[in-house]
Parts: sequence; structure tokens; C-alpha cells
Amino acid sequence: MTTSLKELSKIPMKLTPGHRLCAGCAEPIVARQVLMATDKPVVVANATGCFEVSTTIYPYTAWNVPWIHTAFGNAAATCAGVESAYHALRRKGKIDQEMRFVAFGGDGATYDIGFQSLSGAIERGHQFLYVCFNNEAYMNTGIQRSGATAKGASTTTCPAGSCVPGKQQYPKDLTMIIAAHELPYAAQAAPHNWKDLIAKAAKGFEIGGPAFLNTLTPCPRGWRHDSDKTIDMSKLAVETCIWPLYEYENGKFRLTAESARIAEGKMEKKPVSEWINSQGRFKHLTKDRWMDVADAIQEEIDRKWNKLIQLTKL
Amino acid sequence: MKKFVKGNEAVMIGALYAGCDAYFGYPITPASEIAHAAADMLPQMGKVFLQAECETGSINMMYGAASAGKRCMSASSGPGMSLMQEGLSYLAGAQLPAVVVDVQRTGPGLGNIGPEQGDYDQAVKAGGHGNYKCIVLAPASVQEMCDLTIRAFELAFKYRNPAIVLADAVLGQMMESLELPEGQLQVPDTKDWCVRGDAETRQNLIASIYLQIDLQEEHNWMLQRKYESMAADTQAQSYLTEDADIIITAYGSCACIALSAVDELRKEGVKAGLFRSITLFPFPKEELAQAAAGKKVLVAELSNGQYRDDVLLHLPCEGRGQVELINRMGGNLIRMEAIKEKAREMMGVKA
Repeated sequence: MTTSLKELSKIPMKLTPGHRLCAGCAEPIVARQVLMATDKPVVVANATGCFEVSTTIYPYTAWNVPWIHTAFGNAAATCAGVESAYHALRRKGKIDQEMRFVAFGGDGATYDIGFQSLSGAIERGHQFLYVCFNNEAYMNTGIQRSGATAKGASTTTCPAGSCVPGKQQYPKDLTMIIAAHELPYAAQAAPHNWKDLIAKAAKGFEIGGPAFLNTLTPCPRGWRHDSDKTIDMSKLAVETCIWPLYEYENGKFRLTAESARIAEGKMEKKPVSEWINSQGRFKHLTKDRWMDVADAIQEEIDRKWNKLIQLTKL
Repeated sequence: MKKFVKGNEAVMIGALYAGCDAYFGYPITPASEIAHAAADMLPQMGKVFLQAECETGSINMMYGAASAGKRCMSASSGPGMSLMQEGLSYLAGAQLPAVVVDVQRTGPGLGNIGPEQGDYDQAVKAGGHGNYKCIVLAPASVQEMCDLTIRAFELAFKYRNPAIVLADAVLGQMMESLELPEGQLQVPDTKDWCVRGDAETRQNLIASIYLQIDLQEEHNWMLQRKYESMAADTQAQSYLTEDADIIITAYGSCACIALSAVDELRKEGVKAGLFRSITLFPFPKEELAQAAAGKKVLVAELSNGQYRDDVLLHLPCEGRGQVELINRMGGNLIRMEAIKEKAREMMGVKA
């Protein structure tokens, strides 16, 4: 697998510029990185969301590869259908080349409404890579909370005020839930570390069964940060252990990149307060009224980080 | 007191006056502002706002809350309404009151977020399984987004039946001044049927399953009698229909355009009138027959003749030959000029 920038720049673009995603959106960055990870013909299934709407506004399309969309919660099922048809055609000798299948969905489409369809597709063992763009809320419909929204984040359906500190629950740990399916490959990645992300996507494509890649995709609009800070946000999430980089491969957990270095003591683990202070959606947490929420988040992040380190030792 | 608000906000203001205890929502454009308003207002009043993981979740949360006799609601659009159909069938089967606001967008499939009235059949004919009906109310202004939400709660509790407020993207997104309602809505006591886990409601059972076929049939007959009795609550607006030669009939935002067309036609000497259905189920059959008797009828709608089919169904036989349709789909509104032109053509008048 090619992972030098010079080589990567020669790969034909599967998702072209000119789409209508916001300035500073991490989704097309992740999508390009994922699609660079295979040199085989690839079919993309897309759940409803910003990414689907903004890359396919009729009569335009930003796609240079076959692309299919059905409903909000069905990307994994649709991808499973396409993959099944491919295998049937292969058996009949009507397709002679190897192909790859990838499904893209946001956190709403993956953690919430599409969870059933994703779980089913993984359990049946379809050979596809499911990539979640986790921007921690329903951004396409106006920044509503999701199962992936961080505790303390203010959204339009969990607005922060004097009674409530934004979202009151911690996010679902979806990567772990998917790993509990004991599938061949699951991983977490973030776009600032393109090398790590592409390597994980490449593994997912070639693992020979279902694979899941959960990517953090900072959203300037919903997170309330400047649009030139997207990559900084991605990096900070990993440095504060809000979003550890790790993979689960054939039953084994392994930390990668910065997260591995933090665990080895070779890199500083930054305090969660840096993360909270960097985004407008957490603004209220810096006030006296909700100080304790920020402390509780730090405690929970530490607990989960230590648990993850224990898992890598099994 | 007056407030300048969006139609979607007016829905939630109405819900507060109706004493809504709980809102179960899921994001979808162009209905999301209703959930935003609910998330803002209800917790401050000690009431419940919950966001589900999908529309199937929110409609079944309503089944739970309604079973406890509470006033609950949700709002959605397009694909979200499709996902709620199973739940609506269960609510109707178990005779539970609940209010769903459908801020219609275009379809089928993903469609877009523009206005359409393509969910007419789904709402009025009941899109889920079984022999059931939902009460369907069709607002045509921001004021009615509020008032008919209150009315929906009232009728839902009167008949112990789900009620749909069938709005559209125009009504949800546009802003008008709203006269705030007066007083709180009183609904019948629910202790005779609800289940609250106390001694008083211990005897009550909420179910839609009768494994003995005769009992299931009787349950169905009872429901049909209830739906027939709803004819007492039809509501419609007849505007300049008495001396009219041609009646334009429409509902929702489309009726606003039709109303302007009627005024313009009158100025030109064409005796036009407007018949606007406010309840779509129960359908204002008598009112329509009276308004349209001996007149030509032009149906204006933002769908493929779904409302026209009901107009034909409910008109007396002799009136059916004179019904024509003007419609747009895909997020387009009908231009007032187009309605006028069609009406003139039917009347054999040249512009």
C-alpha cells in the first residue's frame, strides 16, 4: 500500500472538488483518504446526511465511482445488497475483476438510526468497509444531539442553559460495540494522521470480511470552531485521549500512532480542558455553573483510556 | 397578545396551550424547528423532551406515554412519517390519543425539502396496516399551525385516536403574526382507560390483539363505528361559494394561493368561490356537497390527484362530471395565474 504523499498525489481522485460541503468540513478529507486506500474498482454506498446531499446535488455529482444511496438508516443494508449481487455475478462469470465496497454514514446514520442495519450486515459477514464520519451530531438537519454527541455539548435538541449543561449523557462507544461483533477488523482514526487512517482503511478493504472504521470528522459549524482549525481539532482529540487511535484485528486490540506513544509515555496526554476550551459548543462548561461537568468528563476520559490500555494487554 | 413566529414554532406554542406533557422527536428537515422549540420549552416547564434514535423509536415512545394517559406528540416529514406508520396503526388499534405533525416535503423516496402534499393518502387513508383511520387536520396559516395543534389534541382525546396535523414545508417555515391562544385546553379524564400503575387504573388493559377472531372482528366494527361518529367534527371554510359558478377547492398552503385566485377572478367578473377542507378525515362531505352543488369544481393540490380523488369520492354523483385538477409536484407551488387561467378555461371566459 502506497503511503508517501508523493505517491498518493498520483492516485486518480474518486471524490472530486466542487462538492458543496462547508469550508473546513472534515468529511471529504476522510473520504479521499479512505478511497486512496484501494487500487481496486470501488462501489460507494452512502447514508443520508451532509455528505450525501452535498456531493450529489442533481444534476451535478462529485463522484467518479459508482455511488448508491437509499434511506437514512440503510447504508449497510444497501451495501450488503450490492456486495451480494457482485458475488452472484462473479459466480456466474459475469464480472471478472475484484471489486471493493465501502459504505459512508454520519454518526446519526451509524450510531442511531442505522445501527440495526450495520449490525446485521456485520453479523452476516458481508465483505465491505463501513466508514463512520463522526461529527458528533446531526449536522445536516441543524445540529441535533446524537448517540455520538459528547457529554456537555450544546445542540439544538439539548441546548445548554441554567438548568441543563447541554447533553447529559456520555456518547455510545460504538467502536467497542462493533468490536464486540468479533468481526475481522474495526478501528478508530482521525484525518490529521492521514498515514494511520489510510493504513487502517487499506486493512479494512483487504481483510476479507466486514470491517468498520470510525473516523472523527470535526465540524466547524456544529462544534463552533474556525474552519481552518479542523485538522488541529482532529489532532487535539487524539492528544487529549477523547478519540484514541486504535484497531481491533482478529480479536486483538492495538493502539496506533500518537495514542501508542501516549501510552508508552513518549508523548504528553493533554488535559480535556484544552479540548473543551477550543470549541464554542462547550463554552458554558468553562463557567462556574458547570465546572463540575468538565471535571466529570476528564474522569470518564481517564477511565476509558485506562480500560483501553488494559484491553491492548490481553 | 401577538407574536411573530415561524409555523413550526407556532405548533409548539399550540402544544403548550394544549397541555402537552411530552414530545418525542427525531431530526428531519423541514420539521426540525418543532423539536428545537420543544427541547427549549418543555424541560423548563418540568415536562419531557426526548430525542429518539429514529422515528420508529419516537412513535413507540408515544405509545408508552399515551398508555399512561399523558398528552404526547411528535413531528416529522417524508421518510420519517413513513417510518411512523406501523406505530400509528398500533396507536389506532389500541385506541391511544397522540398528535403527530407532518410538515410535508416532497417525495417519493428521498425527494427534497420543498413543499408538497403527497402524504395525503398516507395520512387520510392510513398508511399503516389494518382497518384504521387517523384524524387529519390541515392548517393553512401560522395561526392554524397553532390552533389546529390544539384541536388535534382535543379530538385525539375525545376519540382516543391518533391525530395528524397535515402541514407542509411552506407552513412550517414561513413567519406570520400569531395571536396567542387563551386558556388551557381541557381534555376528558383518562382514568377509565389509561394505565398508571395505581389502584384506580388496575382494571384497564391497553391492547390491539384479540386472538379470538370474532373478538378481533368486533374490535374492528367498534373502531369503524367510532370513525363514522367523527363526522360530527368536520370543519371546512366556504368563501364566496354561495353565488359562485365555479368552486376552487384546496387545503393547506395551496388554499392560500387558491384564495388569492378567487379574489382576482371575482375582480374580473368570474364568479369563483373557495372551498377549503380543514378536516381531511373526517372529510367535510356535507359542506362540500352544499358548496359545490350545481357548480364546476377545480381542485388545486401539490400532489398527483390524491385530494381530487377524495373530492370525487365525496361529491354527490351528479357533481362528479364537472371536476378538474390543477396540480404541481416536486417542491413547486401552483402559481395563482395558473389557477386563474384554468378556472377561466373551465368557464369558457377569455382573459
